[in-house]
Amino acid sequence: MNDRMRIRVLLLRVLVLSLLVTLGARLWVLQILDGDHYRQVAETNRVREVVTPATRGMILDDRGQPLVRNRTSLVISVNRSTTDRQPDHGRAVLARLASVIGSPADDLTKRIRFCAAQIKPPCWNGSPYQPVPVAKDVSPQQALAVIEHPDRFPGVSADLQAVREYPHGSLAAHELGYLAPVTQDQLDKQGDEKGYHLNSLIGVAGLENTYDDELRGTDGVERLEVDRFGRVAGTASTTAPVSGDHLVLNLDLDVQQAAEQALQDTINSLGGGARTASAVVLNVRTGGVVAMASLPSYDPSVFVGGVSEQDYRALSDPANGIPLLSRAYQGSGAAGSTFKAVSTAVAMQNLGAKPDQKFPCSQTLQIGDQTFHNFDGESAGPITLHQALVISCDVIFDQFAYDAWLADGGLRNGRGPYAPPEEYFARMAEAMGFGKATGIDLPGETKGSVVDRAGAKAIWEELKDSYCRRAKNGYPEEPDPTKAERFRKYAAEACVDGYLYNGGAAAQFAIGQGQYLAVSPLQLASAYAAIANGGTLWKPTLAKAAVSPDGKVVRTYPPTKTGTLPVSQDVLAYLRDGLHGVASEPGGTATGVFADWPNDQIPIAAKTGTAEVEGKGDTSWFASFAPANNPQFAVVVTIPDSGQGAQYAGPVVKRIYQAIYGIGQQAAMPGGKPPAALPRINADGTIAASPAVGALTPAAPTSPGAPITATPASTITTATTPTVAALGSGAATPVSAVATSPRVMPPVSTSPMATSPTAGALAPSRAPP
Amino acid sequence: MTQEAGPTALRSSPVPIRGRIGQLRDRASGRHSPLRRLDWTLQLCVIALSVIGALLVWSATRQRLDEAGGDPQTFLKRHLLNLAIGLVLGAVATVVDYRVLRAYAPFVYLGSLVGLVAVLVLGSTINGAHSWIVLPAGFQLQPSEFAKVALVVGAAMILGEKGENRNTGIRRSAPGHGDVLLVLGLTVVPIGLIMLQPDFGTVMVLVFTILGMLAISGAPRRWVLGLVLCGVLFGGAILEFHLLQPYQEARLTSFASGNKASSGTGYNVSQAMIAIANGGFTGRGLLHGQQTQGQFVPEQQTDFVFSVAGEELGYLGAGGIVVLLGVVLWRALSIGFDSQDSFGALIATGVVCWFTFQSFVNIGMCLGIMPVTGLPLPFLSYGGSSMFANMIAVGLLQNVRLRSRSDPYAM
Repeated sequence: MNDRMRIRVLLLRVLVLSLLVTLGARLWVLQILDGDHYRQVAETNRVREVVTPATRGMILDDRGQPLVRNRTSLVISVNRSTTDRQPDHGRAVLARLASVIGSPADDLTKRIRFCAAQIKPPCWNGSPYQPVPVAKDVSPQQALAVIEHPDRFPGVSADLQAVREYPHGSLAAHELGYLAPVTQDQLDKQGDEKGYHLNSLIGVAGLENTYDDELRGTDGVERLEVDRFGRVAGTASTTAPVSGDHLVLNLDLDVQQAAEQALQDTINSLGGGARTASAVVLNVRTGGVVAMASLPSYDPSVFVGGVSEQDYRALSDPANGIPLLSRAYQGSGAAGSTFKAVSTAVAMQNLGAKPDQKFPCSQTLQIGDQTFHNFDGESAGPITLHQALVISCDVIFDQFAYDAWLADGGLRNGRGPYAPPEEYFARMAEAMGFGKATGIDLPGETKGSVVDRAGAKAIWEELKDSYCRRAKNGYPEEPDPTKAERFRKYAAEACVDGYLYNGGAAAQFAIGQGQYLAVSPLQLASAYAAIANGGTLWKPTLAKAAVSPDGKVVRTYPPTKTGTLPVSQDVLAYLRDGLHGVASEPGGTATGVFADWPNDQIPIAAKTGTAEVEGKGDTSWFASFAPANNPQFAVVVTIPDSGQGAQYAGPVVKRIYQAIYGIGQQAAMPGGKPPAALPRINADGTIAASPAVGALTPAAPTSPGAPITATPASTITTATTPTVAALGSGAATPVSAVATSPRVMPPVSTSPMATSPTAGALAPSRAPP
Repeated sequence: MTQEAGPTALRSSPVPIRGRIGQLRDRASGRHSPLRRLDWTLQLCVIALSVIGALLVWSATRQRLDEAGGDPQTFLKRHLLNLAIGLVLGAVATVVDYRVLRAYAPFVYLGSLVGLVAVLVLGSTINGAHSWIVLPAGFQLQPSEFAKVALVVGAAMILGEKGENRNTGIRRSAPGHGDVLLVLGLTVVPIGLIMLQPDFGTVMVLVFTILGMLAISGAPRRWVLGLVLCGVLFGGAILEFHLLQPYQEARLTSFASGNKASSGTGYNVSQAMIAIANGGFTGRGLLHGQQTQGQFVPEQQTDFVFSVAGEELGYLGAGGIVVLLGVVLWRALSIGFDSQDSFGALIATGVVCWFTFQSFVNIGMCLGIMPVTGLPLPFLSYGGSSMFANMIAVGLLQNVRLRSRSDPYAM
């Protein structure tokens, strides 16, 4: 062996050494530097989570009566990880099961196949390790047939599962909301933070959505260590499920029922069909929502166990009136004369009108080339604002708004320069909460719209192209040629000078009409509540408190002030007096409605409204509060496509007050007071309703007092151990579009009530004559 | 070669009259006994690696055997038995003077070819390769493992044959073209036979071992470079024309594309990496690796045994194994460095190349930096043939050591 060879051996030694160092370095990277990442992967690799869903809290009305509760359902499930191992892949078992539950075996096979791009429901989009529910609400006999013969039904199980139950059907559906399976996206983004698991049900609409964190509770998780073949080797950790908190509402079941019934009766009398209607009852002293109803409604139980595509389509179909949409807080439109309360405040607060000053209520008002008529085309001579409210004179308010518009520079298409516009009407409307969300604890609230000069210009900037296109092409889709021509003319004008703040529309604003204003019933109720309570805007709130399953008050939701009306107490008092006159004085537009009302005991303050809607019947409005001298409740009812306010909405409001105060029936709110105390929830889960507070008629055998035994939550907890194995690493296919779209609310502009400027772009609600 | 007079001096010294047994005992225990002159560092490291291997194999298999109702210690016992048999074979390889062995090299070589042909006729297919002859009592023979030994000995014989003769004092000249051609010829035959199995990993071991030996032997540089170039072209051609079995190609391409698929080859590697990373610095403890005990890593007692070390023994243990392997290779190279002739040096070189390639590829595969090739980790992976071949190779190293120039009492 020579020296050159030795050198080469030395080189080999260096090579070997460097290779080994490479291994050592790579080992360091893998085990120390990247260790955490891989350990996490190892965890999901190794640990299967068996989730015991927490029992969701109930939603209770102000007296503790359940609006949403849980019931147990016997569910038969097929565990594919067992049936797939059978020689015939479970075909024989499924055939036997089909005969027990009485549905075709083919149907069962479809239900347990895995969803994929080509495989549409029915199919299973959960984890392959998780039992697939194939039949819900089976009879105990059917369940026993499965449980008692494990040899004939290997891989088939029957469990009790908790499902949402709505004891009052569609009552308050828009407020309660519904649940849907968690989406993959939500799991990825919030799964850890919120404790979602595969197959978790989460609130996607209404209170179920807003208070999902409180209601959902914490799922129990048993973490099992398994080997590569999914065999359980041991338990890594176990946490017991913690039931969700109950939500106690300000909403009162009896008032809600009365409101919905009265609306439904009115709709029925009008001929039914796709008609819509809504009612809002607020506690003016707190903003508490005592009732809020919208028709058509729906039974949220269609969402239990997954809504079918067909059902969902029916619930969003305009031909059915879009039952999913709440007209009370998700729809907006012209407020009609109910808005005169706002205009009166402007006239007195900003434009210097005096309480006993008289203004001419003439037959017509000429503004430019437009002629505005009083509603009934009559002249009432010079009258005070009080009387103008009582008889609902349009012209006086039109005149105020027109003058204010002129003072702001009119069209402002001259040379200028112009001082900044005051825009008293738009400012007052905003100060009273219009044009912005009230902040109610429900998702998807509409803001309505208040369009001022700057707003009009911004909208025009956005829409001028479409106006100009329409001016050129017309409205070929409009069957009525004269209407189409009118629209085209309007578009042609808007194309050229749409940015100009229209004096006619500004005048119409004061009487709650025209393209510059759209309000939701909730906003109107909130504004009337502020007028009633001396000027405080409260955030409308459904939830009063969250109470733990064992009865402890976890959280209360105190009234939240969102603003103060920029109106003096004198003016507010004048307004209240005027509104009381509407329902009590001779000639008052609502006096007829309340002719037989005990006005001396429970004075009513009200304002009727009849909003004109292009191409439809008038929208009947009725806004009110009571008692007028010491207000407690504000009630607003809206019935589009019906007629005059006093004729349709008024009687509904009256029926709601009758229910509240117990006129000719049991009082829903004895003494006209909402219950102050929270209902007591016993540790065993039963609920004792709160005692009536300050009852005028203590003998009245009203529902409060008698304990209402709701489905005890604890019973559900123990009865239900739906061992739903949601494993960490399951291949989850995207859930079907219908079930996943949370809060799919059709855009408000499609609602029949919507007359926002945006909607008006292509179909102007009120074209100039 | 200055101290070659040493043994002669020993022999010519007056020996006191003793019994023959006494002589043997002296030879065994005396200061100059061959036992003492063995490279004990090397030997102890090898034994340590094998025992660690036995524990890892035990940990990797006991759960599964227990579940199957078998004796959970089966693989532990077998690995230790393999070690014992291997040590005996190694002792034989140590005792026979390698210069005598040189004479038998052609027979060793031919014997290995017979084995490789036999496996094609009689063999069983495991994991896609037709590499095993199943023997009674649950034993299997993998002739390609022994082919490694045979080829190392054969190539060393040819490349070192021209070497210096101690008696003539002629300095060895580098191997010529003829020698290189002969070595390549000798190599191509077993490679061809192993390709037929096919066992791509073993082929690669042989290629790199021969390349290393050629480079060290001082063969003409153009041969070495040319062969490397050929290897690259051949590798390209293999992929281009899909000459490999689909499963082999999948292994290579899945590595190259960084595909950590949840099934197939990528699955093995990603599971192995997860297991190793799960060990952290100190490991989960022997028999307590969740990934290992959950049997997430396929082939974890053979090709992926290092993942068991990584998870259960942590960086300390797995790094320790790399260090032990390093010591083995270091000592082997020292033996080659100190060898009195080229034959010994080339044997040491061949063994080092063989062990290094196999260790690096195997561990690198578990760490995700090498493609999956199905090579066992020397001494640690379960497998009788591999253990025997490795131990014979270690025996050869000791053989060279006993007769190396730095040992004044070399026989």
